[in-house]
Amino acid sequence: MATHAVVIDGLCKKFPSPNGRGEFTVIDSLSLQIACGSFASIVGPSGCGKSTLLNIIAGIEPRDAGEVRVQSQDGADSGARIGYVFQSPRLLNWLTVEDNIKFALEAQNIGRSSWNERVTKYLHMVGLAGQERNFPLKLSGGMQQRVAIARALAIEPDILLMDEPFSHLDEITARKMRVDLMQILEHARPTILFVTHSLREAVFLSEEVYMMSVKPARIFKHLRVDIPRPREPEDPRLFDLEKGLVKEFFAVLEQDFR
Amino acid sequence: MNRQTGLRWLSVLSFVAVWWLGSLVSSPEILPGPLVIGRTILTNFTTTTGPEEKSAAFHVAITLARILFSFSVAMILGIAVGLAIGLRRKVELAFGYLISLALTIPTLLAVFLCVIWFGFSEAGGLFAVILTVTPFVAVNMIAGAKALDKELIDMAHAFNARRGLLVRKVLVWQLMPYIFSAFRYAFGMTWKIVALAESFGLKYGIGYMFTFWFEQFNMAQVMAWVMLFVAIMLVIEHGVIARFEAKIFAWRPAHAV
Repeated sequence: MATHAVVIDGLCKKFPSPNGRGEFTVIDSLSLQIACGSFASIVGPSGCGKSTLLNIIAGIEPRDAGEVRVQSQDGADSGARIGYVFQSPRLLNWLTVEDNIKFALEAQNIGRSSWNERVTKYLHMVGLAGQERNFPLKLSGGMQQRVAIARALAIEPDILLMDEPFSHLDEITARKMRVDLMQILEHARPTILFVTHSLREAVFLSEEVYMMSVKPARIFKHLRVDIPRPREPEDPRLFDLEKGLVKEFFAVLEQDFR
Repeated sequence: MNRQTGLRWLSVLSFVAVWWLGSLVSSPEILPGPLVIGRTILTNFTTTTGPEEKSAAFHVAITLARILFSFSVAMILGIAVGLAIGLRRKVELAFGYLISLALTIPTLLAVFLCVIWFGFSEAGGLFAVILTVTPFVAVNMIAGAKALDKELIDMAHAFNARRGLLVRKVLVWQLMPYIFSAFRYAFGMTWKIVALAESFGLKYGIGYMFTFWFEQFNMAQVMAWVMLFVAIMLVIEHGVIARFEAKIFAWRPAHAV
């Protein structure tokens, strides 16, 4: 058994400057280890490089320096399955809900014989049983994001990357989705790396919270949330944690912007 | 029949009615009525009168074959060129201007040029279509290639989709609206050019018959061939292409065809 699902060591990422001259550093020697089976959140302000970090882990963006290792549960370095839930659903609107999930299954070389069973299982898990034949644009934004979650879970990933998956939804829908996500994860338990700008969301959902500062991105605080699940969104202990983190956050941000 | 198709038929019927009323007040040498034309078309199909002693079905088949062949060549070329330009910056720099240049050639001039270069041969008609239609298809495909959604391509890569799967399930579908608008436009242009080339000098075909009867001052025959041509093209555009389109775009919530 591998102990860590993700190991990041000295990661650097630069982007060309918007004015066309030179480059600026988005991520500077960032190191991070995510334990197998844990739910870890990275919290940081918008534009701090959180999404870039997830894209590098997913292998859709190159890195400039450092190591990124994603390991499967059995410790193999290669062939770890990565599920990704993006900010927007990013569904293929011309395919039915069912075929959107099968797209991911085909991409991951998962045997055809298990497709139907997985589609049914994970659609049921996200509360969309019976929507197999529907087209995504006939669904609400929240339902579309549920399809995206089902798609990512259906490949039974070793690690699930989630990039502010509820930030495009209205607060009531988002709140319901968070509670539902907790329930879903009682049945399917991949390692989760969740990125958000909301401290409240992070402390409610996760076991580990990493706080990230801007320009360049670095982790300046790690916190364990030891409150047992299921948690109540209104749990005063969560509020206390959040308050403490907000204070620290602003202390660091002020330093950064000085 | 729903309300929409009812309205469409009503517009066709009112056109025929106006035509019929017009034919009542003018002489049959100038504007023959719909009945006369309908009868002429029927006779053309059932007998082999006319210059080459062939039935109308023969000429229709020749014209359709010419349209289909040159249209397919122009579509394939246009899609290939358009995607190459739209997806590769270097190709765009090298050939982008040539497309704009080709777009400015008036259709009639292209037909003249091709007649001069190739004589009154099948190649002349084919090249006239390639010269004028290909750039239009290419321009559409360039726009399609530029509008490809990078977020969806990233999603496919994040799930490790291979190239074939990416093309089949992600890219082709995004290009579909552009392919279709190119398809419609190219088809409309092609049949006009083919008819023009046929009336200029190709042997056989609807355009050829049109010119033949025009030179005989036989108005009933001229109109019979024009109406036949228009009817066939309408059936292809609205019966075949539109139906296919409705199927392909069923995923859009309120797709207006």
